[in-house]
Amino acid sequence: MYEKEKGLVDAFLRGQMDRRSLIRGLGALGVSAATAGVLVNSAATRALAADFDWKKHSGKSLKLLLNKHPYTDAMIANLDNFKELSGMDVEYDVFPEDVYFDKVTAALSSRSSEYDAFMTGAYMTWTYGPAGWVVDHNEWIQDESKTNPNYNWGDMLEGVRKSCAWNGRPGGELGSDDAMQWCIPWGYEQNNLSYNADMLEKAGVGVPTNMDELLEAAAKVQAANDGIYGIGVRGSRSWATIHPGFLSAYANLGENDLTVSSDGKLAAAMNTDVSKDFHAKWVKMIQDSGASDWSTHTWYQVGTDLGAGKSAMIYDADILGYFMNGGENAMAGKLAYAPFAAKGGDPTPNIWIWSLAMSKFSKDLDATWNFMQWASGPEHGLFGASQMDFVNPVRSSVWADDGFRQRLADSYPGYVEMHDVSAPGASIKFTAQPLFFDLTTEWAASLQKMVSKEVPIDEGLDQLADSVNRQLKDAGLG
Amino acid sequence: MATATNDAQLSPPTRRYSASKRLLPYLLSLPALLVCIGILIPFFTAVFYSLQRFRLSQPWNRSMNWGENYLNFLSDPDFWNTLQISLTYAFLTVGLELLLGLAIALLLQKPTRLNNFVSIMLLMPLMTAPALAALMWKLMTNPNFGILSYFATVIGFDDMRWGASPDTALFTVILVDIWVYTPFMMILLLAGLRSLPKQPFEAAALDGVPKIQQFWRITLPMLTPYILTASLFRLLDSIQQFDIIYALTQGGPGDKLMVFQVEAYLNFFQSTNVGRSAALLMILWALTFFLSNIFIKNWLRLRERARGEV
Amino acid sequence: MDHAPIWERWLRGVALILVVLFFMFPIFWILVMSVQTNETILRSPPSMAFEPTLQNYQALITGKLETQAGSLDIAFMQNLWNSVLLSVCSVALALVLGVPAAYAFARHKFRGSEDIAFTLLSFRFAPPLLVLLPLTLYFQDIGLADTYVGLIWVYQLICLPLILWIVRGYFEDISPDIEHAYRIAGHSWLSTFRRIALPLAGPGIAAAGLLAFIFAWNNFIFALVLASADKQPVTVGALAFVTASGIQYGQIAAAVVLSIAPTLALALYAQRYLVEGLSLGAVKG
Repeated sequence: MYEKEKGLVDAFLRGQMDRRSLIRGLGALGVSAATAGVLVNSAATRALAADFDWKKHSGKSLKLLLNKHPYTDAMIANLDNFKELSGMDVEYDVFPEDVYFDKVTAALSSRSSEYDAFMTGAYMTWTYGPAGWVVDHNEWIQDESKTNPNYNWGDMLEGVRKSCAWNGRPGGELGSDDAMQWCIPWGYEQNNLSYNADMLEKAGVGVPTNMDELLEAAAKVQAANDGIYGIGVRGSRSWATIHPGFLSAYANLGENDLTVSSDGKLAAAMNTDVSKDFHAKWVKMIQDSGASDWSTHTWYQVGTDLGAGKSAMIYDADILGYFMNGGENAMAGKLAYAPFAAKGGDPTPNIWIWSLAMSKFSKDLDATWNFMQWASGPEHGLFGASQMDFVNPVRSSVWADDGFRQRLADSYPGYVEMHDVSAPGASIKFTAQPLFFDLTTEWAASLQKMVSKEVPIDEGLDQLADSVNRQLKDAGLG
Repeated sequence: MATATNDAQLSPPTRRYSASKRLLPYLLSLPALLVCIGILIPFFTAVFYSLQRFRLSQPWNRSMNWGENYLNFLSDPDFWNTLQISLTYAFLTVGLELLLGLAIALLLQKPTRLNNFVSIMLLMPLMTAPALAALMWKLMTNPNFGILSYFATVIGFDDMRWGASPDTALFTVILVDIWVYTPFMMILLLAGLRSLPKQPFEAAALDGVPKIQQFWRITLPMLTPYILTASLFRLLDSIQQFDIIYALTQGGPGDKLMVFQVEAYLNFFQSTNVGRSAALLMILWALTFFLSNIFIKNWLRLRERARGEV
Repeated sequence: MDHAPIWERWLRGVALILVVLFFMFPIFWILVMSVQTNETILRSPPSMAFEPTLQNYQALITGKLETQAGSLDIAFMQNLWNSVLLSVCSVALALVLGVPAAYAFARHKFRGSEDIAFTLLSFRFAPPLLVLLPLTLYFQDIGLADTYVGLIWVYQLICLPLILWIVRGYFEDISPDIEHAYRIAGHSWLSTFRRIALPLAGPGIAAAGLLAFIFAWNNFIFALVLASADKQPVTVGALAFVTASGIQYGQIAAAVVLSIAPTLALALYAQRYLVEGLSLGAVKG
């Protein structure tokens, strides 16, 4: 089956046919665009087989633990190609995001050998790595007998790749020479502005380019449009409230979460004057122009409100804005994107990196690596980005692909430019250390208290710093 | 306890199998006990964890620190906040649900067709998993399209923020708890009311005792064992509340709703601070054990008295 | 009571209506939401003017949700089936284990019986998390991790104490005289238990079983921590409608409705036992 189709696709790959005629040709054979994508990738995958013995682990079976996410959908859509390429079988468990990380912690802390690899964020590996639950992937990346020659590790965006590597020393710089690659970047998110162009226009405000303008624009756009609020940012009592827009702006002003002394001791740095001033602005922004139920907002309320036309802007993950511009959202097709720097000038967004990691309790790491290098390889990256919603890709080769850029430029105004401008400064801005989730969640709780005026900002930050320092000392880090 | 009389009543028809007779009750209760103890072995592991400095993200620091996790609580404002919130939550929900459940049970006391139908309909919230009930209420209190937010605006609460504001968060989760669990109280109390003997009421009616007096003097005392059972089960659940609070606010805003299980859950799953998490749960266990002990003692006493009186 | 003054009857009527409104409205509203599309749900202010649609239910039952963003696989029916399986088996096991034990505690006051009864009840005191976390480790070792058997075992933490406590009270309320008479007539202990004690306690057992079923059905955390995706109950499954391209409110509502339906059907069927069967702890007149 599919012989005719394969012939067309091979012709395309040999360069005898352009992409458009290929899709048209396939369409004539009754093949939908998405299926055509899989077929193209299948041919690309067959081409892969030439240089590397993918079949080495043929007959083996893997199980993955995955979060319900478009990246997962894109991977599953293409999975048959991997099975064919490697002769391996791949099973997977998909859990809703609300409970996903708890499931991962439960599985890993019980040393379950059920899952061979799983999706994770880079922050999580600051726990998983020291706990001994994930491997240092460098061991495989650098082993030519285990990694296919076209894997092209250097193709991964540098800031992203380094953000997934840490030497395990509290406060140790990410991506240092002695760092261990705790996870492999898969897809990532920069935190920038996504906005409703009509609403901004109606209010006669331009796209804000610094913190003060952001406050002003949020207030104005809220006043000029009925029944909306100005700006969506996360607010739930979770570390996830801190890491998107909030930390991106904070880091852009040159502020740190913690400082590392020369003898490696950590100390809180949230109560500097600049930080207090920034917190005051952020809090005012939420009080004046944020969602009334801000303190329960996770990424999906932030996104849904923008998509439903209930908010004018979000300062959050760019891909959240991307998704809200499609599907059945009321505002689909009406959103636009812009980079944002709190200080003005070059943006330096903090990033979230959906990554893949191999579990130390996997029974066959070499076989698992076969899957890992395919899933994070350039072929699947290009397939996912151009055919599915596998944005943002972590490989510069995918970003260089004209078809992908064109697709974004057509339906997502400003998206490509935003990415290109922000990518050089995009990296994780937190200090890597084992108390990340405790301290960052506490930061979010403090922010909630400041927004609800339970505590004045100066006092709140001093209390937070005291508490952070105490916990660092207790844990032997401060 | 009525041990002696019961044994006498149960003197077997023949004395031949007296050895197996004595073993019988143990044999009957043993499987249940074994099954529970099997699950409870981890309990002792948890006790052991609670005596350790044990954080998954710092395995090199793991060591026995004996009571330090517990001692630390003494000077930890977060712990006292947790204790206070948990107790407040438990007593408010159980108290309100008891009052409301009793009132509804009294309304539905007469076993008419309508009343029976209504009492079954009222069980619906109990059928809704608390986690899903929280989700429903979250949808209904959404400020954009939530029907309750809309009603609130209509009656003049323009700025009702439900779970999102520290002023109303406790109110909101208690409201959901009441919605889910009042039917449980109601059905147990209704069962109690309908099984009360008729004679005392008839006698009181003949003597011309007003209904209010009848309620205080006859209904309530006779109903007390039911009230205690229902309250006990609710108290155990309520002080360990997790689903509703976690789904609605994750313990926020701020630290407003940081009850034991939420705090312990976050400590384990997010901070991976196993030692502290286990110690928190041990305290919670001790607390429930203590409270339920009081309840059960009284319950047994009341039962015996009720038997003695008839 | 038949001669209650008119104002009292009015008051009762009004109170009853308020009660029904408070407890029924959310269910009604979720039902209404479940037959709407996301678009009509998200209107503000909320309104009752919409074209009802069954697409949410259809998506849940067929397991395919078609959106412009592509089709989405939903494992909700599997979740529903898991809930049924876990709850039914757990309650069945709890009844098999719990009813004889309850009988023993009610009829035979033996040495330490109060202590054992209290110990069994006290399992209800253990915060689930406390047990659950180390349990994951042990289950891993003995091969019960990610099995229905392991889960059903853990569910006994919820079901068994409840059944034990309620059924015991019920047995204590039944006079042992009939049983004695039957035994004196020469029947064995077992047939006395089966033919006399069990049928007499039927309503109590049914009511306790029903309550245990409800609590098992509503559980959320056990399966999440202990089992893989294909063994998750509806309580976890209903969280799956939060997707990157928006929250599927209509589906959440439909999922809630579908997850309440089985317990409600059971309750309607068993209603006559419920009130009667729960009349524990007092002496029948």
